[in-house]
Order: sequence, then structure tokens, then C-alpha cells
Amino acid sequence: MLAIDVAAYRSPWRRRHPAAKAVLAGGLLLSALLLPPWPGAPITAVITLVVALGWARVPPRAFLRSARAPLAFIVTGSVTFLISVDTSGLAWAPGGAVRAGEVIGRCVAAVFCQLLFAMTTPLADVLPRIARRPGLSGLAEVAGLVYRMLSVVLETVNAIRRAQADRLGTRSWRTQWRSVIGLAAQVFVLSFDRARRLEAGLSDRGYTGSLAVSVESLPLTGRFLALAPLPGLVSAGLTLALTSACTVA
Amino acid sequence: MHIAEGFLPPLHAAAWTVAAAPFVAHGVVRLNRQIKENPEAKLLLGASGAFCFVLSALKIPSVTGSCSHPTGTGLGAILFRPPVMTVLGTITLLFQALLLAHGGITTLGANAFSMAIVGPWAGYGAYTLVRRLGGGLLGAVFAGAFVADLVTYCVTSAQLALAFPDPAGGFTGALTKFGAIFAVTQIPLAVSEGLLTVLVVRLLRSTSAAELIRLRVLKEGQVAS
Repeated sequence: MLAIDVAAYRSPWRRRHPAAKAVLAGGLLLSALLLPPWPGAPITAVITLVVALGWARVPPRAFLRSARAPLAFIVTGSVTFLISVDTSGLAWAPGGAVRAGEVIGRCVAAVFCQLLFAMTTPLADVLPRIARRPGLSGLAEVAGLVYRMLSVVLETVNAIRRAQADRLGTRSWRTQWRSVIGLAAQVFVLSFDRARRLEAGLSDRGYTGSLAVSVESLPLTGRFLALAPLPGLVSAGLTLALTSACTVA
Repeated sequence: MHIAEGFLPPLHAAAWTVAAAPFVAHGVVRLNRQIKENPEAKLLLGASGAFCFVLSALKIPSVTGSCSHPTGTGLGAILFRPPVMTVLGTITLLFQALLLAHGGITTLGANAFSMAIVGPWAGYGAYTLVRRLGGGLLGAVFAGAFVADLVTYCVTSAQLALAFPDPAGGFTGALTKFGAIFAVTQIPLAVSEGLLTVLVVRLLRSTSAAELIRLRVLKEGQVAS
């Protein structure tokens, strides 16, 4: 299983309704995107971190490890704001550092909000609820199948990788290429074979086209739902108060 | 490369979502029709989606000596056709956002537009063109994968340039800037992905010809040859 999914399944918020968690993370995400980056982004980022690590008790190491890759992209991508290009060539962009800082701040806050939702809500809780929406049942069922097959396929990929490494398949550039090609082809063959076997197993059980699974009922009402919009509102309130205080000063 | 959560200004994120929506809706309609006519196809589509996800997570040795990930959109479009690939690509992007924190929810529309719509259609167009001009299967596969990868990143460059025009050079300056940065890594990566895809299809032709016939990539007569 993937680290984010593991965290979501182990989360103390696992039994909270996904919609309530979407309201909470979505409210913070809106604050991160719509409020002025300074001081909105740092305030939203700190509030999201407090909610994730304190209230939702997401393991800090797993949270930071999951944030590492997107944050690296964000910092690398923002370097381009420092340079300006026109017909005369390259130059330092006026105000480039401020622009890069604003984008980095907004992204850090937004990525934290994304992780807050992802690390507290397994996809298996979200997809069956989407399937109830008219017109989306086919899409949600296929997405649910992809999700279920993913765990099996990823396990296969890891097993093949280990076997290839044990046979010195990562020794050189040439063997690495051969290993990747073999891996991709083998995953294709195994995925289709698994689908075929599932198809045969289901038709033996009188498959009629419906893959509906029973969904655990989770309460949507109560204290949690009432508190869900609060972090976003606190973030917006603090930002607006600080902004107006700075304007007056 | 996916555009990370929060990287695009909210208006741009919303506009790209609106732009991607009709293509995804068209793909969903096609998918629903396919499932209705053939309920077993659902399982094949599930397997295909899982394969697309894994494909985009594979590390391939790049020509520059570094390591990178293929987009997988070219191979996906050749195997499953662009409308289905639009849906599978969007599902893959959503899963990558929620399971790997690669890409984002608000940037899903922009990422889907480049990776699940324009990339697959351009790649499939190149693949079809080469085959119609009499090129062999493997040549067409290389063209499809190369074009899909490169076009995906060209669209991403344009999306970023539109969102962040250069203070001096405007949209063109920003496009040059982002394009130049991507060109260093993406042209070798597109070549690598093209080669990888050719070798995968060559291997599949000998090990899984029945699946390739079922997916209409090969015809009965081509297997014997």
C-alpha cells in the first residue's frame, strides 16, 4: 500500500464522513487560494498543520515525507520567476523574488490542505459515495476497480523489481533499460490476466454488470460537521484582521 | 510533471477545469456506453487504469543520465483509444493527487487537459498518421509515444506561461522560459519514452498478441508475420 493510503486507513478520523472532511480541508484550501498570499498563506499553512498533526493526529514524519516531492517541484518551478526573458536576452526579473515567495507560500498551504484530506480519508470511502450520483456510477465503478487492482498490481511491481535487482538487473544503464521494459510488459500481461480471471469468476457467480459493494454508514451530522468549516473561517478572519491592521498602520 | 496543488491562480485553475470538462464528459459517455454493451469491459478498464497508473510511476533511465517518469499517455492512447484514455488518464491523475500528492485537486483540470486530453489525442494522431503513410507498427508506436510526451509538456509550458506571463517578454517570454527549461529534460525523456514504448509493444507482440488483437492494435494477419 502507498504511504498516504496507509495513513488514511490508520487515521483516527477514519470513521468521520468524507463529506465533513471535505468541508474542512476544502475550506482551508479555499483560504489558501483566495486570500492574499501574505499573510494568508503562512496563516493557513500553520492552521492546517495544527489541524493535521494535532487534531487529526497524522504522523508528522509521514506527513512531511509525503509533502517533500510536491514541495521540491514547487520550489524548482518558482525559480523561473526570478528570471525575465525578452528580445534582449535574460535578466533578473523585477519583483521576481516576491512573486516566487507568494507562489511558494500559496502552494505550501494548498499542499498541506490536500494532504490533510488525503491522509485522513481512504479513497475506498469516497468512491462508493460518488457512485450514487446519477451518471457517475459507471465512472466511479471503474475508478473503484482501478483502486482495488492498484494494490495488487503495485505489489506485483515491487516483487518483480526485487527479483530484477537480485538478478543484477539494475547493474548498468543497459540492464536497467531491459528491466524497465520487462517490468512494463509483465505488468500489462498480469493486469489483463487478472481482469480475465476476475471476469470468469464473476460470470460463474451470475455477474449482471453491477459491482455494487456495501458501504459502511458514517454519520454526517454532529459536532464534527459543525466544527469542520471553523479552521477555514479562523484562517480567513485572522488574515483579514492582520491585513486591515497593516493597512491602518 | 504535474502542476502542483495551488500553483495556478484560482481563475486559471477554474478555466482549465471548464476546458477539460467536455472532453472528460464525452469520455464518460463513451465509457458508459461501452460498459452497457459489454459489462465485462469494466474489469478490463479497471486493469487498464491500474496499468496506466503504474506506467506513469515507472522510473526510466533518461538519455541525459538522470532518471525520469514516462507519461504513459502515448501507449495508453494507442492501446485504449483517446476518449477512454481521457477518462483513465483523469482517474490516474486524481489517484496520483490523492495517493501520491503528485498534482492537485484544483489543478486536476489543467493536468487532465495536457496529459489526458491533448497528449493522448496528439500521440494517437501521430500514430495513425504514420500507420496510414505505410510506416510499420513500431515506427508508429515510437511517433505516438514521442509526440504524446512532448505535446503534453508543451501544453503544460503554455498553461504556466498563461498563468505567469514574463514581466518583460509577456506570454512569449514566459513560454520561451518554461519551454527552454522543459526542453532540456523533456526532449531526451520523450525519446526515452518513445524507445521504451516501442520495446514494450515489441515484447507484447510476442507474448500477448491476443490482447493486442482484442484491443485492435494488431490484426489477425499481423501476428503470424
